[in-house]
Amino acid sequence: MARIVACYKWVVDEADIRINPDRSVDLSKAKKKISDYDKCAIEAAVQTATAIGGKAVGLTFGTADARQSLKDALSRGLEEVYYINAEEAAQADGAATANALAAAIKKMEEVNLVICAEGASDTYQRQIAPRIGAVLDWPVATSVSKLEVTGNTLTAVRKLDDCLQTVKVELPAVVSVLPEINNPPIPTLKAVLAAGKKPVKEFSAGELNADLVPKTRVADLQGYVMSRKNLIFKDGEAVDQVKELVAALKKEGVI
Amino acid sequence: MSGVYIFSDKNDIAAEIIGFAKSAGKDAILLVFDEQTAKVMGNSGADKIYLVNGESELVESYARSIAQLLREEGAELFAVGATPRGRDLAARVAVYLNCGMASDVSTLSCGDGQWLTQRIIYGGAVQQTEVLEGLAVVTIPGGKFEPVSGTGEMVNITLAADRRISLEETMPIGHQGADLSAAEKVVCVGMGLEKEEDMQLAKDLAAALGAEIGCTRGIAEERHWLPAERYIGISGAVIKPKLYISMGVSGQVQHVVGIRDSQVIVGIDINEKAPIFAAADYGIVGDMYEVVPLLIKALSE
Ligand SMILES: Cc1cc2nc3c(=O)[nH]c(=O)nc-3n(C[C@H](O)[C@H](O)[C@H](O)COP(=O)(O)OP(=O)(O)OC[C@H]3O[C@@H](n4cnc5c(N)ncnc54)[C@H](O)[C@@H]3O)c2cc1C
Repeated sequence: MARIVACYKWVVDEADIRINPDRSVDLSKAKKKISDYDKCAIEAAVQTATAIGGKAVGLTFGTADARQSLKDALSRGLEEVYYINAEEAAQADGAATANALAAAIKKMEEVNLVICAEGASDTYQRQIAPRIGAVLDWPVATSVSKLEVTGNTLTAVRKLDDCLQTVKVELPAVVSVLPEINNPPIPTLKAVLAAGKKPVKEFSAGELNADLVPKTRVADLQGYVMSRKNLIFKDGEAVDQVKELVAALKKEGVI
Repeated sequence: MSGVYIFSDKNDIAAEIIGFAKSAGKDAILLVFDEQTAKVMGNSGADKIYLVNGESELVESYARSIAQLLREEGAELFAVGATPRGRDLAARVAVYLNCGMASDVSTLSCGDGQWLTQRIIYGGAVQQTEVLEGLAVVTIPGGKFEPVSGTGEMVNITLAADRRISLEETMPIGHQGADLSAAEKVVCVGMGLEKEEDMQLAKDLAAALGAEIGCTRGIAEERHWLPAERYIGISGAVIKPKLYISMGVSGQVQHVVGIRDSQVIVGIDINEKAPIFAAADYGIVGDMYEVVPLLIKALSE
């Protein structure tokens, strides 16, 4: 049966990130989640598989803690998940990530479509779909807002800055989808319970024989600090607050 | 010719990247795909312009042959405008060159055989500095560098394209109203707005200020009260108006990333703890249904 592969990343929830006074970054309290954009990729795979009678499967490249993502991913309608469990994922850049994912896809049978999100919600580099396509030598369509598979042909609508493009391609292919492509539903309790029984296939880095050495080096991480005036009018009558605001904006010369 | 190879489907970004290359003391070599663009870019300071001819209308489909050209010429950097087409092409070229890539960089400089880049991650909460050794690929958004002028040589070149993907149809996107990223003033509506009819309140404030209307993602993508190109943030528009006023916007980092370059930021929100106030120059803690009508009145006096 034709497999539709949704790639996803287990990421830090950016809402939990704390920036220390010296601008260093504290991730120690941060929970992890499936990248929000990837939920749309998973849902697109599930919908496409349903439409063509194929099998939607997940694929993730992560460190040991990405194991926590498997049940969540499976509760979103995927039939199985492939998990590349590798410490290299912690330092991976776009090149290493795409090499890992492409190597796993090569090992899977009957894959005819790979669906990624444009980017992950942590790094948002937007490299992975085109990189996977180039590594596998499969055609690619990025920025997809609508996709349809009939027979062996994929028709995709790409949303670019200046136009909508309809492109056609024979499968196998790789696409990246925009968040507007669907609204991923919250998994039902039944789906969550069923997820525990679905199959997981694990790959080790060694098994894949892929180049996982990053080609970019992170030299520094610093919290972003906004320096603004922070003059907040919170007491007194609304009329007076508005008066003060208008006076301030006049003084700034912006009204 | 070694140097910085440049492509953008937006001419102003291409011109800015040429400006960067020249300021870094490198030759700037521009790739264009049609004669019109070659003409427009003729005096943008590029040392050489390649006018690419080929069999595909999709620039992304030339990735492999562009990579080959860069290798043969001894390119030092492939710098591409950060647009959907540009990011796609750049990432594929990075694979064919087997090199590193930094996306949507906010700064770029060259050191001793390496490129130093900065970009934001975690929805805008953190700035990351990356080092790329040797030949590398970067994508660059608009507004980062100053364009220059000057003419160079023009060369026609035919490159092979991947023909497996075909373009069936192109439909221009009708942008409603002015471009948000160029607006001088922006009123931004958030999910604090209760009903679609209440959009009138935002319209009235925008009219009183002479502002464009923008929104947060939920207003566009969940409620569909405004078109998608009206939402501001990391996945939407990045704006730099003189004045940004929000009503009922909590100010989550993914939204705030899109307004950081505003000259003055004003937040109106009922919740004193809303993060928008930390990102704002001025704020009013209050019910926008009370505050905004008063503000409209005060502005028209
Ligand atoms: C990966 C990712 C990417 C994202 N990209 C974007 C993006 O590009 N752009 C974007 O905008 N969002 C984006 N988001 C969503 C973002 O995280 C926030 O959820 C969103 O910006 C919140 O929108 P909001 O402020 O309108 O709504 P809410 O957070 O619900 O805030 C509503 C605010 O209205 C206030 N309010 C309610 N009633 C009143 C009243 N009567 N008067 C005054 N105030 C009132 C509330 O106090 C609250 O602060 C992204 C999220 C993720 C995870």
